[in-house]
Amino acid sequence: MSEPFSLIVTDTSPLFTLVLADALDVLLRPGLAVTIPDAVYIEATRVHGAPGAEEIMEWINAHLDVVRIVPTDIGIDQQRRLEEGRSIRGLGELAAVEALERFLRGDPAAEALLLFEDSDVGKRRAIVDERVSLISTGDFLRELEAAGLVQSTDYILDRAAARGRNVEKQRKPGEDATTRGRFRDQLLQRRDASNMER
Amino acid sequence: MPESERQKMIRQYAAGDITWRVLRERGFENYVEVLAGLGELGLRPPVAPMEGPNVEARRRGRAIIREALLARK
Repeated sequence: MSEPFSLIVTDTSPLFTLVLADALDVLLRPGLAVTIPDAVYIEATRVHGAPGAEEIMEWINAHLDVVRIVPTDIGIDQQRRLEEGRSIRGLGELAAVEALERFLRGDPAAEALLLFEDSDVGKRRAIVDERVSLISTGDFLRELEAAGLVQSTDYILDRAAARGRNVEKQRKPGEDATTRGRFRDQLLQRRDASNMER
Repeated sequence: MPESERQKMIRQYAAGDITWRVLRERGFENYVEVLAGLGELGLRPPVAPMEGPNVEARRRGRAIIREALLARK
């Protein structure tokens, strides 16, 4: 596989499913670069004490060599909306579209694999671009199961649901300025590193 | 949202009749809420059947993952 592939996480739901199942590392098994649009990352981690939020941030930081948070214009708009107390619903998906366009525009040989939430993937408008492929969390896990890399897809999905039930009651509402601050720092560091490479 | 309505939607979601996007439009804020609802009902997140408008794109996606996993063995 010589083409530059990237696995783009289009929404928070695959991240939450995998983190609550203690299985985020499965995203790294195929050896593809993992791209998380900034708005998806913020949506997943912005609520202090939310189940999985800290783990997602820790996991990304532990794998910065292969997991990339991509700054987008939508992400900037999201920050503004958060500061103004406005809704950010659905911005993660829009940021994923923007990240995809940037990725494909940046390299004519690039191909993207979009990670979708399961039931959504079957009902979306048809993807016609040959350079874009889709994978749902369930399909992804099933491929790993077929390759003998996870024992059972159902076990992982059951575990996510069971842990979701357990942790939902512990959620603490309110936004965490610390998390957002850390995210801003992370983006700035990435931009600096990117500028130095040029 | 009444609990009965919430549970009904979670069951529809688990059956693949409605999507996460629809749940979000109807008041679910966070996917953890969905996972929690599934857990309470003893259900798991749905795995979409290989049908619908994106079958080819999904076949390609699975093939990419399969190939990538083989290449790493």
